[in-house]
Amino acid sequence: MAEASTQTIHDVVCGFCGLGCDDLTVEVEGRAVRVRGEACPEAVRLFTRLDVDDRPVSVAGDPASLDEAIEAARRILSEARAPLIGGLGTDMAGAGALVDLAVRFGGVLDHYASDGLFRNYAAAQRTGWLAATLAEVRNRCDVLLVVGEDPSAIWGRLFERFFPADPLFAGKPRKVVFLGGAPGEKAKVQLGGADVSHIATSDPVAVLEALGGFTAGRVPPGTSFGGVAVEALAALADKLRTAHYAVVTWNAATLDDGDLVAERATALVDTLNVTTRAGVFPLGGRDNLIGVNQLMLWRLGYPLRTAVRGQQSVHDGALYATQAALGDADVLVWVSAFRPEPPPEFAGKLIALAHPETVFEREPDVLIPVGTPGVDHAGTVFRMDSIVSLPLGALRVATLPSVAEAVRRIAEG
Amino acid sequence: MRLRLKGGRVLDPANGENGVATGSARDIEILDGRIVAPTDQRADAEYDVGGDVVMAGGIDLHSHIAGGKMNLARLLMQEDRRAYPEMPGNFCGCGGGRAVPTAHATGCRYAELGYTTVFEPAMVGSNARGAHLEMADIPNLDTGAYLVLGNDDFFQRLLAAGAGQEQVNAYVGWMIEATQAFAIKIVNPGGINAFKFNARKMDLDEANPHYGTTPRKVLTTLIRAVTELGLPHPIHLHGCNLGVPGNDETTLATIAAAEGRRLHLTHLQFHSYGTEGDKRFSSSAARIAELVNANPNISVDVGQVMFGQTVTASADYMSQYRNRGIASPKKSIGMDIELDAACGVVPFEYRDKSFVNALQWAIGLELFLLVEDPWRIFLTTDHPNGGPFTTYPHLIRLLMDRDFRNAQLATLNKAAQAHTMLSQITREYSLEEIAILTRAAPARILGLKDKGHLGAGAVADIAVHTEDADREAMFSKARFVFKNGRLIVKDGVVVELAQGTTHVARPAFDRGIETEMDRWFDAAVGLKAKHFRVADGELRNGAGPTILKCEGVAP
Repeated sequence: MAEASTQTIHDVVCGFCGLGCDDLTVEVEGRAVRVRGEACPEAVRLFTRLDVDDRPVSVAGDPASLDEAIEAARRILSEARAPLIGGLGTDMAGAGALVDLAVRFGGVLDHYASDGLFRNYAAAQRTGWLAATLAEVRNRCDVLLVVGEDPSAIWGRLFERFFPADPLFAGKPRKVVFLGGAPGEKAKVQLGGADVSHIATSDPVAVLEALGGFTAGRVPPGTSFGGVAVEALAALADKLRTAHYAVVTWNAATLDDGDLVAERATALVDTLNVTTRAGVFPLGGRDNLIGVNQLMLWRLGYPLRTAVRGQQSVHDGALYATQAALGDADVLVWVSAFRPEPPPEFAGKLIALAHPETVFEREPDVLIPVGTPGVDHAGTVFRMDSIVSLPLGALRVATLPSVAEAVRRIAEG
Repeated sequence: MRLRLKGGRVLDPANGENGVATGSARDIEILDGRIVAPTDQRADAEYDVGGDVVMAGGIDLHSHIAGGKMNLARLLMQEDRRAYPEMPGNFCGCGGGRAVPTAHATGCRYAELGYTTVFEPAMVGSNARGAHLEMADIPNLDTGAYLVLGNDDFFQRLLAAGAGQEQVNAYVGWMIEATQAFAIKIVNPGGINAFKFNARKMDLDEANPHYGTTPRKVLTTLIRAVTELGLPHPIHLHGCNLGVPGNDETTLATIAAAEGRRLHLTHLQFHSYGTEGDKRFSSSAARIAELVNANPNISVDVGQVMFGQTVTASADYMSQYRNRGIASPKKSIGMDIELDAACGVVPFEYRDKSFVNALQWAIGLELFLLVEDPWRIFLTTDHPNGGPFTTYPHLIRLLMDRDFRNAQLATLNKAAQAHTMLSQITREYSLEEIAILTRAAPARILGLKDKGHLGAGAVADIAVHTEDADREAMFSKARFVFKNGRLIVKDGVVVELAQGTTHVARPAFDRGIETEMDRWFDAAVGLKAKHFRVADGELRNGAGPTILKCEGVAP
């Protein structure tokens, strides 16, 4: 009987890591959900649902009705002096509702994964940059420079998406240079058809800076940079200069000097474009980070890390970063619908709109378990390149409210 | 709900009515959001407009109000946002900005000027869902978007393979439906694509380095496609060589290339440059206006340059990359996008003491004043590229008041003054002509039968302006604006927020193309075609689009 009721859904869109894979196969049996076939471990983990009862709504640790929790949340926010609306792991509808909430009650808005984004903005807002989107990388990129650790650990299908078997324009073999950590087994398999090399360094900033010089035709004084011999750098510069379309990619979140890597990579790509074509492809974007940031820009004119108070908004990338803002906040509204991301340590009042499997160090003052976009309800998320957005479908009948529903009810009263 | 506007001087060129000229006043009656024939029934509300000028709500057919490039511009130009914070008032708690205002500010500022409908002229297909999400957050305006086509690799491949027009039409129809678009825009035909293969310029008959296709072929094929699909709006063309001195020849050749078929040339000012004079930069407005006058199939909007800080944002990455060296402040963003198009964002400050900028200003005004038929020229600044839309009242005064125009001209770069014939042009626009440029004509060229006029059956989008000899003051603040019969602006201040609709066109096409689209998206784009498609329910927070049937127009 159980097998007869199993439903197989094809071409499921995954909204978790920001890569936007949309070809997953998922089995749904009652309330249980599991991934079948090819998928990355992150998707397998986060799509998996057991057929269990919903975690109850609670107020001060005691089970409560949703109405009671909504009322309690509204009361806390009404009395709040400086709320921080954090986490922001939600779809576009949820993000819109949370901006409305900030307009109504005031508050700082930041996403839990925005560190990498703002390291990139250190370059993008000062000098700008020249970028490419996923389909351009797939089809044009003939030389890919991967800075930092092998990103396959986080984006399990990245190189499969970057390098399909038959790109439209890039000749074979496509060249991939890992600058920093060595490629792991998964990357090697996915890059099977490519000419893969590795340049070890613990100082990618120094290497990129020297590389920029070589690419521009200058020979920087010295015999090695970041532990890399000038001969190797000159050869790499030559590879980039003679590429038809070079791409530099990095994950600023995991790089100690992510802001400097972003800045140097941007400068390198700028230099390359004088004579050939090239683009940056910064990695990031988990849990709709990019989408929430996009919405902030068109709704408030500012990116994340913006405070809304008295119908005015103010942006400060340092002051309104979650960790700094927590120091001033008396209420934390923690939103994480995609994954059981726990809230940061915080002594003030805690309202959690959270994935039902979230483990809290202390009971939230208000806990409203919420459904996951793309599992429990439909929604929209942005891919990491900030251009493409994807529709998430519902895989099962929702019993938990979406972030948008819950937040709208809090804001309504 | 029945409303009555009492005693207005009705200016409704689409229906041949000019209460300003005749001095006669009459009532306008609204029932449930639409204009109806006047009755003597009791109204739920009456507004005494006391002889003020009553016009249909303004329609802007080319203003960049949504889409990824605007967000890139916001990100890049935080200075603009900080310099223009939220305006006080209950309805302006969500944003500010001038060159790239927020969605909320865009809706509010346009409404205050008396506009109720604005079209985004460059929606990239791969960004369509995001653009529609953003448009849904613009209050008080109906919107719509033109899909950028012609530089996409699918289309280029079709052309290169010598595909039949039927197949092209099917593809264009599929793309319009999938992206919920209203019209087709071509930006630098083939040039954006060529830049991805490292070409740095593209003339009308130059071959794409990879496909061998030419801009002329792109243009003529897509003109045929929109004609045969029956789309009401002609191809909306941002031509080759934007901003390049000497591009007048390209523009003249482009008009000829249309071979008598309908074609709309957008931001013509940026495409009307000659190479005469010791600075090798001159006005070709007179030559181009003459050809526009002689070719009734051609319509244009100006893209007037207005002095001050702005941000230029365009799908024309090739041109924007070329211009990035003159960015002010010195930073810019560019992006190659999804085998589809691209974008470039370059901040720019137009300075009245600059020879080039001052001459650009004069060229735009020359075009406005030398193109004779007000039904074929439209008032735009290509917001924000030539300047923010909030400068429209100033522009209207420049057009209506020769003394004011000449006084402004006298303050500009001296060499530029010597290179323009502007001071000799005596034409002054009438109020009726302004109403044509900003209401009646855009509705007609967009095929919006129930907009841009005040006849029975029209959507009750209405602007009431108190006449003032200072036309800038007159058009800066509407006394009343009604959106679908709801009062949204009173005495120049937004008093209510209305949710607009999004206009889309739905041509019929051969659905046999779908299999091919599925294959293309799977193999090349790496995204399922069905996920690329934007569903009706994704528009306007679930309200869906307002659908225009494509019945065609006389070619």
